Order: sequence, then C-alpha cells, then structure tokens
Amino acid sequence: MKKKYIVFGAMAISSFYGFAQQPANYTKKKISKSTIQIVYSQYLQNGDHSAVTGGKGTEKLQVYSPGIIIKQQADSFNLYSVEAGIDVISSASKDNIDFVVSSASKVSNRGYLHIGYDRKLKRNNNITIGGAGYFSIESDYLSLGGKLSASYISADKSQEFSAELQGYFDDLRWGRLNGERPLKLVYPVELRNREWFTEYRRQSFNLNLSYQQTINERMIIAFFPGISYQYGLLSTPYHRAYFKDSTERVENVPDKRLKIPLGLQLNSFIGDRYILRLYYRFYKDDFGITAHTFNTEFAVKMRPNLTLTPFIRLYTQEAASFFKPYRQHDPQQQFYSSDYDLSKFNSYELGMEGRLAGIGKGEKNIYTNNMSLRYSFYHRSDGVHAHMITLLLELVAHRIKTGKQ
Amino acid sequence: MPLRKKYMTFSMGMVMIMTFSCKTVKPYQRVFLNDDAMQTGKRATEKLSSAVHNYREGASGGGSGNTSGGCGCN
Repeated sequence: MKKKYIVFGAMAISSFYGFAQQPANYTKKKISKSTIQIVYSQYLQNGDHSAVTGGKGTEKLQVYSPGIIIKQQADSFNLYSVEAGIDVISSASKDNIDFVVSSASKVSNRGYLHIGYDRKLKRNNNITIGGAGYFSIESDYLSLGGKLSASYISADKSQEFSAELQGYFDDLRWGRLNGERPLKLVYPVELRNREWFTEYRRQSFNLNLSYQQTINERMIIAFFPGISYQYGLLSTPYHRAYFKDSTERVENVPDKRLKIPLGLQLNSFIGDRYILRLYYRFYKDDFGITAHTFNTEFAVKMRPNLTLTPFIRLYTQEAASFFKPYRQHDPQQQFYSSDYDLSKFNSYELGMEGRLAGIGKGEKNIYTNNMSLRYSFYHRSDGVHAHMITLLLELVAHRIKTGKQ
Repeated sequence: MPLRKKYMTFSMGMVMIMTFSCKTVKPYQRVFLNDDAMQTGKRATEKLSSAVHNYREGASGGGSGNTSGGCGCN
C-alpha cells in the first residue's frame, strides 16, 4: 500500500512538473488584424423647394461618393483607423446662385479624411480611450474637427458606457477648390452689393453618450442621450429669402443653436433566423424644431452567411420658428429662412439591405468578410424624394507575428 | 404634461427597466448577442442615409452619426 502511494505521488509530481515546464521551442504569437472597407454610394434627389431660390425651384441633386475605411488592430490593445473619400456633387439648385446655367457652382467636390486611434488600457482592459481628427473640404467649406472618447465595458460584458466629445471648426468662405482669391462668402448674384455677414466661421460641439445593457441572451437595449451646441454663421450665405413686400434678402437664422437628441434602440433575436431592430429618437432644439424618428429593421438569415434586412424609417418634425415659404416672410422679422429642411414635414424611407458574410474565410489569411448592397427610397411630404444606393466590400487580413520569449 | 416632466419620466422608466429586468448572460450564452445584426449603432452601409437625414431634416444626433462637418447646403 505504501509503495502504491509513493508511485502515485511520484507520477503526480512529475506530471505537474511536466505541465509547468514550457517547451524549449515555445513562441509568443501576436495576431494583428487589418480590415479594409471599400464603400461606394450614390444619391439621386429631386424636389421643387430649393432654399437657393427662396423656397421655390429645382432641388435636383446627384452625389457620387467613393470611400475607403482602413482599421488596423495592431494587437489586443491598439486600434488605428483611417477613413478617406470624395463626394462628387452635381447640384442644380446651387447652379442658381448666379443664374448662369451650368456655371462653376453646379459641380462641386468634397474631400474628407478622418484619422483615429483607440487604446485599451493595460491596467484595466475594460476601459478604452480614443481620439480622432477630421478634415473635410468643399468649394464653399473647410471643416477641421476632433474627437475624444472613452468607453467602459463591464467584466461580464452585460453593460457598456461610452462618452464622446466632438468639436468642429468650420470656415464657410468660398474659393479653396476653385483657386479663387481672396476667399470670401458668396451671396446670390443680385445681392452682392453689400456684406450680409461679418462672421464666416461656424463652431459645433457635440457630447454623445451611450449606455448599453444586455437584457437576456436574445435582447439588448441601448440609450443614446446627447447635447449639441453650435455658434457662428449658421445661415447659408447663398440662400435667398423673399418677403411679402416683394423685397429679397439673404437668409438670416440665429447665430446659436442648442440641440438635445435622445435615442433608444432595442435589438431582439427571434427564433434562430430573425432579428428585430427598433429605434426611436426624440429631438428638440431652440430653433423651435421638435422631431420624432421611428426606425424598424427586420433582418432575416436566409442562410448562415446571407442576411436580408428590409427596413422602414418614419420621421416627423415641427417647423423652425422663423421658417416661411416663398414670399411669406414679414419684412419686420429678425430671422427668416425658406429652407424646407427647417419646415414642418413628415418623411419616410423604405429599403432593403443584403449582406453576404465570411466569404472564403476558411484557413486563409486574407479573405472577403462582407459584401453588402443597400437600396432605399426617401420621400418627404413637401415633395423631395431620393434614391440611395450603397455598395460595401470588406476585406480582412490576419498577420501572425512570432517571436521567442 | 410639461416636456421636462415627460423627459424625466421617460428617463426614469428606462433606468428602471435596465436595473430590474436584466439577467446575467454567461459567455457561452452570447451566441445570439454576438451576431453582427445585433450590434447597436450604425453600420458602414448606413453612412449615406445618416448623412442625408442630418442634411435633409432638422434633427440630428442621438446615436445617428456626426452632427456637423460638411454644409449639406445643396
């Protein structure tokens, strides 16, 4: 019996020692992941209430928008991201700034670049902090911006909090892409006899918060409160406003705006194939706009890697206090605009998205992770309507770095 | 009911739902929660729609993308 104990003890010690030892050729592996998203979008709009012509006139607009997003997950802690793209814009309404058909204002390009960095803290890797810089340029616009963010995820991953502070510093003077000097605000051709604004900058600050809670194995809820504050030149200098006495001026809106949005999202997995995504947002600002948004998506997994998602979005808003249609403004008004984006209206968007995921994933280091096609039709009760198409191709590359410990 | 009171009631209701009706989900029970379609926030394919909503409508924010950085004045 004593011998049995000795043999068993010796085996236990040797096996423990064996497990505790690392093999001589042990190597530490570090996996980095690169994600490349190539996105192409197209937007075709028509309508008959252009703000450039004082709330009456064509709103025909086409935007062709190729872009690329690159994310580099260098290791478990560091994520770098770059986003760049161009919007090629052909706008019939902007063409009416000078009433010369097909003038330089008709076609415009917008370029943008976002660079971001996020880092999980090593001493508490439930916390991620990040920052980003934004740059965008258009013939009548230069925007520089930045973002600071922090997020916390609970150890059991049931709760997630995040906070994000964004700042945008915009310059609305015309001429950067056209080589025109000096840079200046552009007014409608017949209103260039005076300077309507002394300010040409616009600042925007947004605080976006989110709280996400897992309710059970199939349901998740998220809550998105926020606050935004803008000041500076909030009017668009080439928007016309016509008055009851047949006079005409450049649009003039308040130079400060406080916005309070509050979003709520509920996602539920139903059975093994269906996902219901519900979103509601309440919005109020000091221009006098109160708005409600309802969005419903119903994703159906046709096959494990193919998902079809029909969706509908309903929106309603009250008008800004200074909005009036063409020739309805009182000359005594301090603020006035005939921009129908600020009018009272309802809108709906109806569409479908198809997503093919994990194509050729297998053992490959580089594979197509996702191909998506999204189409939607947008209609606003004042007559504006648009077709939107987006095509996304997502490639993923894994790289394993090895090194002796 | 005044708007501020409505906002407070809604917020309190949300906090109560979150606090009292949730259960702990173990890592091996997260197969549905980890699905791509279950993630909150916006996907890359929704970027155009979000921009159009920001420009063509008065409201913005509340988990719906950037609220500035481009004039949207076309």
